[in-house]
Amino acid sequence: MTIKESVIARPPVSPPEPWSFPDAQRTELANGLGVVSYDIPGQYVISVCLAVPMPLDREPRDREGVATIMARTLDEGTALHTAEEFAELLERKGIALGAGVNDGGLIVNLDVSKRHLSEALDLLSQAVREPAFPANEVSRHVKARLAEIDQERAVPAQRAAIEFIATYFDPDERASRPTAGDKPTVAVITPQDLVAFHAANVVPAGACVVVAGDLSDVDVVAEVEQALGSWSGTGAQTLEATEALRAPDAARVVFLDRPGSVQTEFYIGCRGPDHGVEGGWAPYQVLGFVVGGSPNARVDAVLREDKGFTYGIRSGFRPRRRGGMFLTSGSVRADSTVEALGLLLDILDKAREGFTAEETQAGVDFIGKTAPGRYATADTVAEEAASLSLEGLTTEFTTANLLALADVDAPALAGAYNRYVSGQWTVVIVGDASLYAEGVRALGRGEVTVVPA
Amino acid sequence: MPLDYKIAESTLANGLRVIVSEDHSVPNVTVDLWVNVGSRHEVEGRTGFAHLFEHLMFQGSANVASGEHFSALMAAGGRLNATTWFDRTNYFETVPRGAMDLALWMEADRHGHLLDALNQENLDNQRDVVKEEKRQRYDNMPYGNALIDIYAAVFPKGHPYHHATIGSMADLDAASVPDVQDFFRAHYGPNNTVLALVGDLTPEEGFTAAQRYFGGLPATASARREPVEPLPPLPEPVRDEHLEDVPSDHLYIAFRLPVDDTPEFFASSLAMDAIGGLTTSRLCQRLVRREQSATSVSAHAMGFVDGVSLGFIMIDVAEGLSADAVEAAACEELVRFAEQGPTPVEMESAMAQTERSWLSSLASQEERADHICHFATLQGDAGYINTFLDRFGQVTPDQVQQVAATWLTPQSRAVVAYLKQDGATL
Repeated sequence: MTIKESVIARPPVSPPEPWSFPDAQRTELANGLGVVSYDIPGQYVISVCLAVPMPLDREPRDREGVATIMARTLDEGTALHTAEEFAELLERKGIALGAGVNDGGLIVNLDVSKRHLSEALDLLSQAVREPAFPANEVSRHVKARLAEIDQERAVPAQRAAIEFIATYFDPDERASRPTAGDKPTVAVITPQDLVAFHAANVVPAGACVVVAGDLSDVDVVAEVEQALGSWSGTGAQTLEATEALRAPDAARVVFLDRPGSVQTEFYIGCRGPDHGVEGGWAPYQVLGFVVGGSPNARVDAVLREDKGFTYGIRSGFRPRRRGGMFLTSGSVRADSTVEALGLLLDILDKAREGFTAEETQAGVDFIGKTAPGRYATADTVAEEAASLSLEGLTTEFTTANLLALADVDAPALAGAYNRYVSGQWTVVIVGDASLYAEGVRALGRGEVTVVPA
Repeated sequence: MPLDYKIAESTLANGLRVIVSEDHSVPNVTVDLWVNVGSRHEVEGRTGFAHLFEHLMFQGSANVASGEHFSALMAAGGRLNATTWFDRTNYFETVPRGAMDLALWMEADRHGHLLDALNQENLDNQRDVVKEEKRQRYDNMPYGNALIDIYAAVFPKGHPYHHATIGSMADLDAASVPDVQDFFRAHYGPNNTVLALVGDLTPEEGFTAAQRYFGGLPATASARREPVEPLPPLPEPVRDEHLEDVPSDHLYIAFRLPVDDTPEFFASSLAMDAIGGLTTSRLCQRLVRREQSATSVSAHAMGFVDGVSLGFIMIDVAEGLSADAVEAAACEELVRFAEQGPTPVEMESAMAQTERSWLSSLASQEERADHICHFATLQGDAGYINTFLDRFGQVTPDQVQQVAATWLTPQSRAVVAYLKQDGATL
C-alpha cells in the first residue's frame, strides 16, 4: 500500500454558521457626546475609543503636526496631575492609553481590565478635557517628532510613502504632507498652539465614545455620564468634506536614490473610492484580496511564488473620509528592480480585463467568512466603530457591507476596478538609481525623475 | 485573578498531544500545531534552516498542491500562517467550524507526507523568498541587524541562541534537498508535536477529529536532546559598536536572564519592566522625561528554554547628546536598582500591566491557542494559561532585587551600539 492510498479522503467544507456583527447600544448625552457600547461576553479587557471629528485641514498651514503633538501630550500633565503622576495613575491600574489622528479626526483609545473601568474613564476624561500642555513636555514631544521624521526617512517603506503623497496629491492639499507634520512646522509648535487647537476642536458635540467588552453588570451610560457628562464646549462647524485633489502631473515615476540598497521599494497608486461609493464598498474589499491580498493573489503568484523576487507585495483600496486610493507596495531584490516593476504594472493593468468567477468567489468567501474572527475581540470592534464614526458611519455599515458581498460577482469586480484604474499610475521607487533608473526609464512607464532619498 | 478557560487533553497512540479548549463565543476553530524544533536545533553551516523548512510546508505535500494550503483555506474563510523562533515552529489557521476537518486533513498531509511533493524547484523558489524576507526585515533597514548582533554578543559561539532564526545568506545558499529530507525525518512527527483546537467544538469532537486525521501517522521524530547546560550571567562586559548611516545613536544593553518558566525569570521580567519597560520606569523617568537625553527607552525579557533567557534595553539617544554619557547614566540606574530593589509602586504597576496584557493576549482564540501550545510544548502544562497570573503574582520584591543584583549589573552587560557616521554627535 502506498502512502497516498493510506491517506484519508479530503473532507468537504460545510457552510459557516450565520453570524452578525455585535449589536450596538446607542445613546447621546445632553452635551452631544454619542455613547455606543458592545457587550461581548468573555472579553475581560474592555476597550474604550473616543473619536472626535477634527479634519486635518483645520491645522494652521505653518503649524502642521499640531493635532498629532496635541494627541501625544493629552496625558502629559493635566489640571490635577503632573505628567509623571498621571503616568503612574495609569500604570498602577494597568491602563494602556494612546491617542492619534488621521484625516478624519482624533482617536483616543484605552484598554483596561473590567474592574478598573471607572478609574480609567475618569483618567480619560481628565486627559481629554483638562490637558495642561506643560512647556517641557511639549518641547520633548516636538523633539521626539523631529527625531521620528529622521527615522521615517531612513526606512525605505516609510520614505516611499512620504514621497508618494507628495507626488500624488495636489500641493495645495493637506493630504500631500505627512499627517504628523514635517520639520519646519513641527519645530515651531508651542504650548499656546496646543491650547488653542485643543479648545477649538476637542469638544463633545459630534464626538463619540465607544465601549466594547464583557459589559455584564456594567452600566455603560452611567459610567460615561459620570466621567464625561459635564464636558462642554462647542467647536468649529465641520464643513462638508471634499475629496483631496490629485496633482495634475501625478502620473509619473519618482526614483529616490538610496545608494547601496539591497532591495528596491515600490509604492504605486491611483485614485480609489471611499466607503460611500456608488454600487457599494464590498467589491473593493474583494479586489484587494484578489489582486494583492495573499501569496496566491495575482501579484504574489508571479512576483513571489513564481519569480522569488519578493517576500510579499500587497495591494488594497484605502478609503479616506472622502475619496481614496488604490495602493500597491512592497520590496523586491535589487537586481530584479526593472523586471519586477514591469511585471507588477502589467499585472495591475491587465486586471482591467476582468476576473474569473473562481477568484471572485474565493475573494468573496475570504472577506465574508473571516469576519467573525476579525471582529471577535473588544479592541477590533471598538476601533471599527470609532473609525467609522469619523466618517459619519456606524457599524450598520459593516453589517450591510458583509451582506452586500452576496451580490459581488465577476462582472461587478471588473466594473468596480475599471471605475478607478485607468493605468494612470503614480510610481515611487526607493533604491539604487545609479544601477536601475535607466532600466526603469526604458520601460516607458512615464517620465522618471531621480531625486536623492 | 483566577481564570477558567476550559482545557481538555488527550494523547494519541503515536504521541500527538491534543488539547481542546471549548469556546462557543465565535463560530470558528483555531487549529494550532507546535513542533518542538527551532533554530536552536540547527547545526553550524545550516543556520536559517528551520525557518526555510517552514516555508516549504506551504509548497505542497502528497495530496495538496503547491500553494493550495493558503488558497483552499483562505477561500473557506481561513486566516493562517506559520512562524519559526529559537525554540519552536508553529503552524496555525483559524477557520469557520465547517472547515476544521479540511484544515486538519491538510495539516496531517504536510506534517506526515511533505517529502512526496518536495523538489528542487520549490526549494530554490522559497530560498529566494526567504532571502528577500531577510533583506526586507534586516539588511535594508536601519538598525535591522541589531537583534542579530545582540544574540551573538550575549551567547557564546556554538550556543543554541548565538545565531538568529533568519540565519545567514551563505547557509541558506548551501541548503539542499537532502538537508530538507533529513530535517523532516529527524524533527517532524506526531511524537514531537502538540495540536491545540480552540473554539466552537467539544473535547470529544476534537479528539475524534485528531485521531481521524493524525492517528495514522507514525511516530517518526527522533528523541529531543536534553537542554544544554545553564549559562551564568556574562562574567564581564561585552561591546559591539557599529558606525553606520543611521538617523540617531541607538544603544542596546543586553543581559542573560534565567531560563523561562521559573520564579527567577518572572522576577527578571518584572525587573526589566521597572528599569525600562514601563512608561514610569526608572530609565524613562530619568533619560526621557527629566534629562531628555533619550527620545525613547524600551525593555524586553524573552523567555527561552535552553538553559538561559535574554533581556535587553533599547535606548534611542537624543540628537546632540553623548551615547557614552547616556550609557553611564543607565548603568547608574542598574546599580541603584540592584541595591534598592523595586518600590511598591513599581511592583504594583508591573503586575497590573502584566495582568492586562496577559488578559488581552487571551482575548482572541488565535492567541489563546498559541499560549496553550507554547506551554504544552515547552513547559509541559497545557493548563498554564489559567494559572500563569497567580504564579507571576507570587514573585516578591526581594526576589526581583536578588535577580537584578545577580543578572542585571553593568558588569554582566553586553552593549551593541549603532552610532551615526560622520561624528554627527556634537
